[in-house]
Amino acid sequence: METLNDAAPKLRLRGVRKEFVLPRTGERTVALEEIDLDVKRGEFLCIVGPSGCGKTTILNMIAGLTAPTGGSLEIDGKPIDGPGAERGVVFQDYALFPWKTVWENIEFGPRYRKGSALAKSQRDERVRHFIDLVALNGAENKYPYELSGGMRQRCAFARALANDPDVLLMDEPFAALDAQTRVILQEELLRIWGETGARDERRTVVFITHGIDEAVFLANRIVVMGSHPGRIREIKTVDLPRPRKPEMRASAAFQELVEHIWQLIRDEAYAATVKA
Amino acid sequence: MKADAFDGRRMPERPRHGLAGYRSRRLWDAATGVGVYLRTMVVFLLVWQAAALWIGNPILLPTPVDVAESFVELAGTGEMITNIVVSVTRLVASFLLAAVIAVPLGFAMGLNRTVFEMIDPTVELLRPISGIAWIPLGLFILGIGDALPTAIMFYGAFFPLLINTITAVRSVDRSYLNAARTLGVGRATVLLQVIIPAALPGILVGARLAAGAGWMSMVAAELIGAPSGLGFAVEWYRELLMTPKVLAFVVLIGLMGYLFDRVLRAVQRSLTRWAEPRNA
Repeated sequence: METLNDAAPKLRLRGVRKEFVLPRTGERTVALEEIDLDVKRGEFLCIVGPSGCGKTTILNMIAGLTAPTGGSLEIDGKPIDGPGAERGVVFQDYALFPWKTVWENIEFGPRYRKGSALAKSQRDERVRHFIDLVALNGAENKYPYELSGGMRQRCAFARALANDPDVLLMDEPFAALDAQTRVILQEELLRIWGETGARDERRTVVFITHGIDEAVFLANRIVVMGSHPGRIREIKTVDLPRPRKPEMRASAAFQELVEHIWQLIRDEAYAATVKA
Repeated sequence: MKADAFDGRRMPERPRHGLAGYRSRRLWDAATGVGVYLRTMVVFLLVWQAAALWIGNPILLPTPVDVAESFVELAGTGEMITNIVVSVTRLVASFLLAAVIAVPLGFAMGLNRTVFEMIDPTVELLRPISGIAWIPLGLFILGIGDALPTAIMFYGAFFPLLINTITAVRSVDRSYLNAARTLGVGRATVLLQVIIPAALPGILVGARLAAGAGWMSMVAAELIGAPSGLGFAVEWYRELLMTPKVLAFVVLIGLMGYLFDRVLRAVQRSLTRWAEPRNA
């Protein structure tokens, strides 16, 4: 197990609450209550939990797309009060711009971002680098509708990375993919994240998923959430060595951890499924 | 309806085998289209011919053959071309004027609640009033000439463009806006690079409806308020009781409207190449 630097968390959430008001009745629902969470620099943090536990809401608040009802969110000690280029997001539905090609989508952040846009030559080099990294060579001039699900996913990933964010927020990025593609992309993700390289060069990742085995395979730590209201039930540290290998999935330690997390959320998962 | 339209296994046709294959596929599609069109027209013309023979009075209803002869005759004299040029010029002028005003106004109304609430009641009040209802007032103010038909056509084209622009701007998928914002871009970029392209397909639908509405108002306005144009020609030959020529111009109005829509569809396709081709 690699030690993570506890001194200065990259993200700090304190007493974060989120309530929604139903427009018709004025009734208040507590979506999240009292979330305390530190995300360490260079950490790969996964959040798992049953449907409706507020995973996506946490991510949107870190991204600055949703404001909390109460509590504070900080990045590098500064409060989060809106979206910013230092927090890149890979959305569940990818949200690629359909009117832009693969190249133009990946180029979007470096080209248009406020204050720190890159010159053309630098930009081209950068886009080329990330297209190579996610193996989209040959698809540069295709529009999103011409891509397969896996290619769209990789394009969305490259678009977020090309903007050089400190923190990468990923909302169930592999949910819409078939099982084989998902397994391949999980390994790709770890490679691109820099699993084999130096720890200082890794980005901080917050990764939301339904898949417990996916979380165990990827994460340094796993936040297990409960619902009604959304809250953190337990934070598990994953003691598997890096780089993670596919064969680890069959190991006893891996299976034990999956089973443990499943026991934590199964009752609520069943309740959510049967009620729905 | 074509039988194969019900065949669910038919795949969307897309160019896959280079430019040559693409061209021949398009030619084939065009030929098939013309075939279907002719088949439909033959039925229509037969019914027309039968009705004309049954009525037996060429002033009430001439046969298609008579109309075709008049059509060729008018095309030969240049009278047709002159009137087409006049009417199309009016359509283009009124359409461009409507676009220049309605599209920016639609953006302002779609993006800003206050602007919308200030202007929308007026729009909803005027929209159900047909352009034709304004012709008498227009005759007082503008008199007979180019101005009246252009103004009425502008009125007809304005609302489809405005309403479609507002709807298109409002229904831009939030996820695109969120994606742009998390990439750290400013408001101007969001407008230029996200909202405008995302709204473009809806605006182009509005443009096609607007051109159609403008063209329809044209005939009414020219029947009454203009000394030239296709609508005027219809009225002119009606007074002379030359029904075949009346119908020849009516046919021409239909053909021109159809051609316009084809042109706008081609523009639509070329501007939104990125959109997923539908199984049309």
